[in-house]
Amino acid sequence: MSLFTLGIARGLVGQVLGMIIGMLLTCGVRILLGWEAWKAEPAWTVGAVCSIIGFLLAVGALDDWLKWTKGVATPMHHGPPIDKPAWTRYFSVDYNHKVIGIQYTVWGVFLLMVGGTVAMIFRTELARSGLQFLGLELYNSFIGMHGFIMIGAILLGVGGLANYLTPLMIGAEDMAFPRLNALGFWFNVPGSLLLIFSLFVGGWDAGWTAYPPLSARGPIGYQLFFLGVFAIGLSSIVGSLNLLVTILRMRPAGMSLFRMPIFCWAVFATSLIQLTATQLIGVSFLMVSVQRAIGMGFFDPRGMLGEVSPMVGGGDPILFQHLFWFYSHPAVYIFVLPGLGVVSELLPVFSRKPLFGYRWIALSSMAIAIVGFIVWGHHMFVSGYNDILRVPFMYATLLVAIPTGVKFFSWLGTMWGGKIHFDTPMLFVLGAISVFLIGGLSGPILATVPTDFPLHDSYFIVGHFHATMFGGFVFPFFAALYYWFPKVTGRMYNETLGKIHFFIMTPAFWVQTLGQMGVGVMGMRRRIADYDPTLGGGQVENWQLAVTIAGFAIAFGVMLMLWNFFQNAEVGVAAGDNPWRSRSPEWQIPSPIPEHSFPAPLEVVGEPYDYGLADSGYVTTATTGDD
Amino acid sequence: MANNRRHFIIATLLIIVCTWLVYEVLDSVLVKPVAAVAEAGPIDEMFDQHIWLIAFLFALVVVFMCYALIVFRSRGDEGDGEHIHGNGTLEIVWTVVPCFILIYFGWYATTMLFDITKELPDEYVVSAEGRQWSWLFSYPDTGAVTEVLVLEVDKPVRMHLTSDDVLHNFWVPEFRVKQDTVPGKITYLRFTPTVIGEYRLVCAELCGRNHSGMEAVVRVVPSDEFKLWQSEQLAQLQE
Repeated sequence: MSLFTLGIARGLVGQVLGMIIGMLLTCGVRILLGWEAWKAEPAWTVGAVCSIIGFLLAVGALDDWLKWTKGVATPMHHGPPIDKPAWTRYFSVDYNHKVIGIQYTVWGVFLLMVGGTVAMIFRTELARSGLQFLGLELYNSFIGMHGFIMIGAILLGVGGLANYLTPLMIGAEDMAFPRLNALGFWFNVPGSLLLIFSLFVGGWDAGWTAYPPLSARGPIGYQLFFLGVFAIGLSSIVGSLNLLVTILRMRPAGMSLFRMPIFCWAVFATSLIQLTATQLIGVSFLMVSVQRAIGMGFFDPRGMLGEVSPMVGGGDPILFQHLFWFYSHPAVYIFVLPGLGVVSELLPVFSRKPLFGYRWIALSSMAIAIVGFIVWGHHMFVSGYNDILRVPFMYATLLVAIPTGVKFFSWLGTMWGGKIHFDTPMLFVLGAISVFLIGGLSGPILATVPTDFPLHDSYFIVGHFHATMFGGFVFPFFAALYYWFPKVTGRMYNETLGKIHFFIMTPAFWVQTLGQMGVGVMGMRRRIADYDPTLGGGQVENWQLAVTIAGFAIAFGVMLMLWNFFQNAEVGVAAGDNPWRSRSPEWQIPSPIPEHSFPAPLEVVGEPYDYGLADSGYVTTATTGDD
Repeated sequence: MANNRRHFIIATLLIIVCTWLVYEVLDSVLVKPVAAVAEAGPIDEMFDQHIWLIAFLFALVVVFMCYALIVFRSRGDEGDGEHIHGNGTLEIVWTVVPCFILIYFGWYATTMLFDITKELPDEYVVSAEGRQWSWLFSYPDTGAVTEVLVLEVDKPVRMHLTSDDVLHNFWVPEFRVKQDTVPGKITYLRFTPTVIGEYRLVCAELCGRNHSGMEAVVRVVPSDEFKLWQSEQLAQLQE
């Protein structure tokens, strides 16, 4: 078997060829215009655009549509490829949502490893004051790279859960648009590769937020970064459209919106944000990109490029921040809503009790999604925008606490009076609640403007958003991986190793977040390669060391989890179809799930979370009968 | 439900103890720098109220969660828990009560914000310009230009901030307040130094390679020393 039967190998070649073709094209146009043939910035920019297209063409994500333009019919092929080993489908374009869900998840975990490694490198540097082994440029590139690689990882993780689980939970055959679903995943691969590769053409030193004017004057790495983000953003848009249509149109008879598994509500709310807000980060980065490439000074107040020409000046750097945060604040809710959905989904199963206040939890997700659109200005309290804007953005931001509080209290209500089991997924759910609580509670102090003044752009913020990201995404994501691992593989992971992972990672994270917030209050800024060791009466270095050690402990825990999965995916103890005694549809079918998930359309016969109600059921499938 | 009442009484006692414990921990970890301006007083006061609220809410959720985990653990029982779908009254209570807390904090913050940013009659104006990677200060009343910011104690200051290149941020941790400097426009920051001493001004907005090293010395000096310094600057300018 040749390597090139794997779609991803063809795609990589296509990406390199696309890059070269794009560069040649740029040189050709410049020669025709009578300019000097080679100029690095436009060549790399056009090359990067062509490299994304090259990857998609070569991997085959556009094949069916191209055939349609020629009138060639492309019947949907089900099952593994005919003339290749079955495992190759995971490395090529495949239209089954379960395959795509795993592709998303695995690529997401890969990016999590890359982003985590980068974090460990600069975290080691920060353990002591003074510069030990990282240069200033590399440090600045690494913090931005850690930021956006992790955002990519989270978006892929969210995509993995949503794509794998949503059709199963509503009993759908597949997603509404399987080809679009595959395209949505494959956008991420060239996109994230551009992000990583940008490090080799100078990186980008303005952090993941890439504020101009700094981002408008840095190395070429910025262009690859902007276009990489653009590709990942396109994935978000087509993926969320697909999920919305699937949830709205493909539920079985009897499954009203308020009878869906609660995770689907979270996916729905997240997809609404993704479909409508992602364009804004695309626009903001594209505007900086063209400002750099051809000098259109959207954010350039007075010719920052040092050129004298009619094409400079008249722009406003603050405009960028409005556009950028209009996506990038709701993006936080894109990351956490599915995670909170996992918490709500798993709590009833392990508490053996109905979800407390189903409708309140479902609607609180929608409330967070909607309020999330009007709070972006709290990132700009000290940006120099109109001072009076601080007030409405402050009230809107405080408002987010209400639906978030509803979730917390409803979770407590779910646990109260249950019969609680402490399997690894449940432990991670509890860890998620404790950590997201820290993240949530450190929010209002940042929302009220006077207390935001000392904390804004300090390390306190770093502590705050890592707590929300870990509590809202990482812990629930790990809970989900442990929980659905037996469904995906048919095998059980090692419970002892899972528990060890939890008991290392959770206390380590508490130490990390407390330390980060502490050094921030002491006066340490975020995004600095070196800090003043006298801060906090000399305590800052001890805390930095503690945070670094905690970071390594977390990394060790994650490695333990991956090793656990790797060990047990094929040879672990057979898990049975429904080891958690869940009522959700995906657990009523065999593990691993056959190519066609459901032998017959689902029949909805009850409520999803009626634990404790004798002789009740949620759905029946043709194969039910063993439980 | 008599059992529930006993649970709630125990949980309430635990919450009170836990709130105090969490507050003490946070108070010892979150070490604020010296408060060297008049505005730091109310800001720190509000900060402290926030920490109490955080401690209480953290205790509330964690105590109930841990309590439920212990009391309602399965004990090897494979059966199900109580069949309760929710409680509308409770949901309304924990939706509405937080609203009042938020309105309180919102109003408190709004009035304080207007108070600490409003213009004062006798402000001393200093301009600061951020550039990669240093600060430059100019004093319109004397025409002096320095790399060290010298301020008179107990005299309200209005900083006129701008930037020569990219975004920077004017922050002295002891002064609490901060403000971005933006190329092409002027932003303002007001404070009243109250403690004589030497502080460190830092840039709090990522500004490129040497961002972490972009610092300047801020000296807050007594009135007579400030006059002396001003006359020295004037003498230098006339040379």
